[in-house]
Amino acid sequence: MSWWYSNGLLGRIRMMMSRLRSSSDFFSVGLLLSTLFSPFKQISAEGSGGSLADYIRRFFDKLLSRIIGSIVRSFMIVFGLIVMFLQIIFGTIILVSWLIIPFLLIIGIIVAIIGWVPRWT
Amino acid sequence: MDLTVKYNSARSEKARISVLLSKNWLFVLSISVVVLLVVGFNLIVLEMAIGWALIGLASVPAMIVEWYNGELCHLPISKKNKSIDNILSAEVLGHLPHNPTPKELATIVSQLNGGFFFAVRFGIGLVFLQELASNNSTDMPAVWSEAIRLQSLTNSKNISAVILVVALVNCNPTSQNLISHLQLDLEDLINGIKWFNHLSSLIEEYQKPKLTGGLARDWSFGWTPMLNHFGKNVSQQVNSVSLLNLPAHDQAIERIIGIFSKNGRQNAVLVGPSGVGKTRIVQSFAAKLVNGSSDVPHNLKYRQVFILDAGSLIATAPEKGGLERLIPQILNEAYRAKNIIICLDNAHLFFEEGIGSVDISNIILPVLESGGLRMILAVDEQRYLQICARKPEIANALNQIVVAPASRDETIAIMQDRLVEVECQNSVVYMYQALVEAYRLGDRYIFDLAMPGKALKLMESAAHYGDNGLITAKSVQQTIEKTLDIKVSVATDEDDRKKLLNMEDLIHKRMINQSRAVSVVSNALRRARAGVRSQNRPIGTFLFLGPTGVGKTELAKSLAEVYFGGENKIVRLDMNEYASSQDVARLLADGADNANSLTARVMKQPFCVVLLDEIEKAHPNVLSTLLQLLDEGILRDIKNREVSFRDAIIITTSNAGADTIREYIDRGYDIEQFEDQFVDGLISSNQFRPEFLNRFDEIVMFRPLKKDELIQVVDLMIADVNKTMSLQKISINVSWDAKKYLVEAGYDPRLGARPMRRMVQRAVENTVARQMLSGTVVPGSIIEITLEQVQQMVSSKTDADQIVKNS
Repeated sequence: MSWWYSNGLLGRIRMMMSRLRSSSDFFSVGLLLSTLFSPFKQISAEGSGGSLADYIRRFFDKLLSRIIGSIVRSFMIVFGLIVMFLQIIFGTIILVSWLIIPFLLIIGIIVAIIGWVPRWT
Repeated sequence: MDLTVKYNSARSEKARISVLLSKNWLFVLSISVVVLLVVGFNLIVLEMAIGWALIGLASVPAMIVEWYNGELCHLPISKKNKSIDNILSAEVLGHLPHNPTPKELATIVSQLNGGFFFAVRFGIGLVFLQELASNNSTDMPAVWSEAIRLQSLTNSKNISAVILVVALVNCNPTSQNLISHLQLDLEDLINGIKWFNHLSSLIEEYQKPKLTGGLARDWSFGWTPMLNHFGKNVSQQVNSVSLLNLPAHDQAIERIIGIFSKNGRQNAVLVGPSGVGKTRIVQSFAAKLVNGSSDVPHNLKYRQVFILDAGSLIATAPEKGGLERLIPQILNEAYRAKNIIICLDNAHLFFEEGIGSVDISNIILPVLESGGLRMILAVDEQRYLQICARKPEIANALNQIVVAPASRDETIAIMQDRLVEVECQNSVVYMYQALVEAYRLGDRYIFDLAMPGKALKLMESAAHYGDNGLITAKSVQQTIEKTLDIKVSVATDEDDRKKLLNMEDLIHKRMINQSRAVSVVSNALRRARAGVRSQNRPIGTFLFLGPTGVGKTELAKSLAEVYFGGENKIVRLDMNEYASSQDVARLLADGADNANSLTARVMKQPFCVVLLDEIEKAHPNVLSTLLQLLDEGILRDIKNREVSFRDAIIITTSNAGADTIREYIDRGYDIEQFEDQFVDGLISSNQFRPEFLNRFDEIVMFRPLKKDELIQVVDLMIADVNKTMSLQKISINVSWDAKKYLVEAGYDPRLGARPMRRMVQRAVENTVARQMLSGTVVPGSIIEITLEQVQQMVSSKTDADQIVKNS
């Protein structure tokens, strides 16, 4: 029992954190945040110098690529965060259950003796 | 530390429970959780309160399963570390009885993973351990303290079954003798512990979740359609195939990371001989970059390595100028993608014009100098020197990383890593002795590669020579023996042993007398096949001295036929063709230019008799060149490649001083009486230099044959004729007086047995030919050749003299 509430509980928390880390990696959340405004797939006009018109064209071309990139990345980040949020909720339920499980036998027996059951009708 | 196992300690109890909870029990417990939960919920749905009790009851097996997975199956060592049971692995501790004896411990560890490992990999199984372990429990403290020593020596996290196997072996006073039967020593067993620990850590590493950057890893980097077409994405390959860490390459990888993570020339050239592992370094480097858990600098993380395929590039743009357009496009694409590291494997293909290669140094040089695109080049030492000599500006632009051949320990460690793949692909298991043998024989017989390539090549080839899927040292020996047609193993086969023990008799079937020469050569072979000769010299080196026609060359031929498997196993050089100093080059010529050079022929056929006839006629420079061959069994060819003569017998013959030998024999001396004096005479007359003569294992003098010995020679020649005629079912019988006449007519003390061949041809073969053509002989008949017939064929002394003269 001492293991259940010490190393066992810590192990569960570690497992939950590890799964969160894997999800964060799977959806590249950290990478996407750090490159949120980078041009998407480096799609933008090439070259350097030239006339002012060329310069402006390249600037807007790159800007457009950055905007598209940030939109696509934001969607992915949001999707990843939703999944991670669900994971946190699920993990918390597991942790709370972990705390209760050792008492489940006694609780079950007491409720059985009391004879309470949910009524469906 | 207390060396008594506390049977009732908490850790011991837990270990026993973990042993009790076998996989079957855990399965039953898991099923019971599910069944209790399902039944419980159903009962509640049916408004029966007993369902709550069943759900509560399900928590008990559920907790046991969780406890097992969370603690019991990886029972950590106790931090107190005060008694031996605190640092024993759970699987061992859980099986230990009260007050165990070494024999009981041997039985226990033999049935655990570590015990199986030593049984399969080293041949140290249950029977072996039980034989050397005592039945006295008072011997246990010695075993425990040896185990503690080994744990500390190998940095093991606990005392596991592998450590206890080695501790049990070490505690036996005769252990060294016992394991030497398995071709092992104590150091090998310690390597075994390290190997097992390494495999365990690999499995643990494999089971950990991998961070790869995820779905959107490459969204900030450009597309690379051309690179995908003309290159090989190493990073993708190492993603799909788990690449193992090779400790020997860590240093080179660290240097590449160091170069790429700082400002400056963003390139590295890996320089080392073929087989040293340059491509593997690039693969390991690529694997490290895409591993999210690795400690590479941020600016290198998730960068991808592409190896450019020279063949594909040349095939696409064969015309002049085509590549000059294509390569910049590819490099530009890599530059714009911002996450590409280009690798030019066999980089010389991009710096020289030739078949399958093209010189694009004018395109690559600016890229190397600007440092805008990271590049790795891999090239062997010789080619790198050539590139440097031709284009020094390229050498100046490159950061050189020398990749040295791996040491023995590193090579064996690399082989152990590679085994995981090789064993899986070929469904075989390698013993440790096989790896050691692969290193030894690879080092000796494979010349085109460096370590660890040599050993790996041999190890992988041995997969096809296993005995029921088990690759032993013998399997590796067989691989070399069958691929190179040589004998490297100690003679254990009954036929082989008989042949070796009766070598003299077998040679004498075609050699008359010269017993001493036959004996020294036979002894050399016996030493070689019994494994007692020096491995760093030829099997034997002999100088045969004596007049012509006494059997010097014949002995070499006999040896080739009897032991080496045929007269074609003789590499014969007439040294009178090497009489000028320029002939040294011809002797050592590259096989591609001159297939008949000594080095080329021995490279193709290392297990042979090398016969250097009339050595006294060779130029002194040629003799000097041969000194290293005689001393170390090594010659370097014109391209500086090492050619091994260590599986050959070197026989040199000389007629030098033949008249002196004859003179001494005629005066009634035995050879032994004037041998030393004679050799001194050869030195003082400047026919041979003392350092040359000293290199030989034996200098053997052949004495002229007497007339009665020549009759035996005639017998051998007639036996040869009979062998030829046996195809037509005809045999020949020559009368005694006819043979004697042949000897009398053909005898010349200066020429020995040489004229006898012509004499027999003239007198016997011609007679038989005539009789056969006249139709007087039918299959199954015996042709009797009489003195008269012989006299008729060799009608006069003048005839005989003419034959002798022509000889």
